[in-house]
Amino acid sequence: MSTTRMHPATPGTPPTATPKPRTKRRRPWKGRLLLNVILSLGAFTMVIPFLWMIATSLKSPAELAQFPPTLLPQVWQWSNYSEALQAAPFHLYFRNSFLISAGHTIITLVLGSMAGYALARIPFRGREWVFMGFVAMLMIPTYTKIVPQFLLVKFMPLFGGNDIFGQGGTGWLNTWWALIIPGGLSATAIFLFRQFYLSLPRELEEAARLDGLNEFRIYAQIYTPLIKPALATVALLTFQESWNNFLWPLLVTTRDDLRVIQVGLAVFQQLDSTSWHYLMAGTTLATVPMVVLFLFCQKYFIQGFTHAGIK
Amino acid sequence: MNFRTARQTSTSQTSTRPASTPHRSAGRRAALRYTGLGTAAVLALALSACSAEDGSAGADSDAVSGDITLLTPIYEGAAGQRLLEDELLPQFYEQYPDVTVTVDYTNFARLNEKLTTGVVSGLVPDVMMMGVGWVEAFADKGVLANLSESGISVADLEKSTTPEIVQAGVWEGDVYGVPIMLDARFGVARMDLLREAGYDAPPSTWAELVEMAEALTVRSENGALERAGFDVLSLDARQMYETMLFSSGGSLFNDDNTAPAFNSAEGVEALESVVDLIHTSKVEDTGYSSTKETVNPLINGRAAMGIAHNNLWTQTLEAAPELLPELEPFLIPGDAPGMFVGGTLATMSKGSEHPAAAQALLEFLASPGPALAANEQRGNIPALTELLDSEYAQGNRLVQFSMENLDVAKREGGPSEWLGLRGEIAPAIESALLAQKTPKQALDDLADVFAGKMGG
Repeated sequence: MSTTRMHPATPGTPPTATPKPRTKRRRPWKGRLLLNVILSLGAFTMVIPFLWMIATSLKSPAELAQFPPTLLPQVWQWSNYSEALQAAPFHLYFRNSFLISAGHTIITLVLGSMAGYALARIPFRGREWVFMGFVAMLMIPTYTKIVPQFLLVKFMPLFGGNDIFGQGGTGWLNTWWALIIPGGLSATAIFLFRQFYLSLPRELEEAARLDGLNEFRIYAQIYTPLIKPALATVALLTFQESWNNFLWPLLVTTRDDLRVIQVGLAVFQQLDSTSWHYLMAGTTLATVPMVVLFLFCQKYFIQGFTHAGIK
Repeated sequence: MNFRTARQTSTSQTSTRPASTPHRSAGRRAALRYTGLGTAAVLALALSACSAEDGSAGADSDAVSGDITLLTPIYEGAAGQRLLEDELLPQFYEQYPDVTVTVDYTNFARLNEKLTTGVVSGLVPDVMMMGVGWVEAFADKGVLANLSESGISVADLEKSTTPEIVQAGVWEGDVYGVPIMLDARFGVARMDLLREAGYDAPPSTWAELVEMAEALTVRSENGALERAGFDVLSLDARQMYETMLFSSGGSLFNDDNTAPAFNSAEGVEALESVVDLIHTSKVEDTGYSSTKETVNPLINGRAAMGIAHNNLWTQTLEAAPELLPELEPFLIPGDAPGMFVGGTLATMSKGSEHPAAAQALLEFLASPGPALAANEQRGNIPALTELLDSEYAQGNRLVQFSMENLDVAKREGGPSEWLGLRGEIAPAIESALLAQKTPKQALDDLADVFAGKMGG
């Protein structure tokens, strides 16, 4: 950006040169127009599936069968929402999903940030190997971990009637432990936290030590308040992943009062047919918490993504 | 014990049901009256008559007790749950007050994961519902109880169920699963569209089908397809091909299920027929429809004929009930009349701690009244041939047609490796439909994959 520096005139002496007015360099209007058109198209493309979901949730089966399909509902079937909510105990599923997602998010923010801090700022023997181990964990497909994780949960010692060797009972199965603990912390979160802590200046740590702060206070009072974008990003990603989890809650529970929102939505999808109007109504309701969360966190969230380079 | 006797006798009994079931249709009310307490009572007598030497399964109702678990991909959703927990299980409990059933609901898409984790952790549910083609794998692994040892014989089942369907629950000659509900794939024609084109009946030969499909295909001036003459893309490619294969007289495997047989002359001809429909007759374009369509193209007139699932009836009932009289089912014409059939079977864990209670529940759920109610709730086909006369079957043209043709139905599955094989079929069929491979090449390559996985 080329701006002309204004030299203040010395009192009593005329200015030696006529200062040019300060100008703000602007993109050519054609360029701005093109940029806005492209961005609008991109935004519209992104929002179309969302609009389609809402429109479908308000159509009747007869209207959904029409070809060519209608853009907006001819008759707005608001009853789809109430009927969808009656198809399963969604109030219970919403509560369970919220508790699990909140639990995962809290565990991740507390323990994940500690782990990330340790890997970034505390030198110890084998630190790089530990970090490489976490990176390697990012490569393991979820499906391959299902059975080992299930066995760990089932054979958890001293829970669910198990003895000290994990035998004789059901361990954590059918409990909140199984729903919250195994998914409570992810390698991705630790990786992200490490990257954020690495980006902070060492001088802060040195100054804190001179002031007599111990390691935990440096973590909690000096560095962590500086990574709010990271906290928001990890919190939102963790909450979203937990909210959308379907398979694990289905596997480790048999009781309906422990099932989650995604399990509830699955009742609209039978093997050979789908009740699209109810599925979309249920999905629209299920996305509301995520949208609200994003609206609250979007400022930090975007900063976090930009900072972490994971656009 | 005489399993058939138990079920047939039960039909003459009456039931006591909870009064608060306003959602239930008249058909289901009749279905439940059909059996009721009597079913359980007679089952108890039948069980007591069993001469199981270890006394595990053969016991009277007083001796049947315990907390058992049921894993089921059917009865899902609030309606299914109400049916099972508010109507069926109370009937069961009246006869077996010392039995408690804990139900674990899942869906077919995740049933395999539920079963697998249950097996590896040793927590196998006492009673499990599974699909056609699944019993072989879990029986082979020693997970399922041999029901023949507790008095349920193939011969007895074949008195009330079509032999081909009974075989879906049989492994190495013994019964491991009892069919409850079926689902079929066959040809369906929109008669109003056929009449417009001058036809008054569905095709009876393959040549006629091709000719009619070409005549019924509608394209715009620029060549864009507006109506498919014969839709083969809305159904899963595996099931579509198997319907064609069975109609051409072919089989998936050889007689002893040790090697693939779908790349026989009949199998290749079946796939060539489908490929020709798309690329030669041009009665449908690839990409025109898919399994993810919001609605089957037969319902909104985007197809005049096609291969369809029997639940097309319930979809049409919901979206366009005025079209129900226009849906005419027909067997895909070929060298042998054939129809693809899948379904759900009730099985029992070999390691159940309460085998008598588990078997009592299995037999209760497979008996006419509960089975009919479950079928009606999902719009499926009862496995018991006697239920063809039920109000439900007579009121659903596609279910009625399926039941009338169960003698020519063929099922998938066979070898114990089936669950690991079936996912390979659709990509191979699609490679032929997209003309990436010739039908013979696609099937031969698929056969090689099968042979490798089957250890051949």
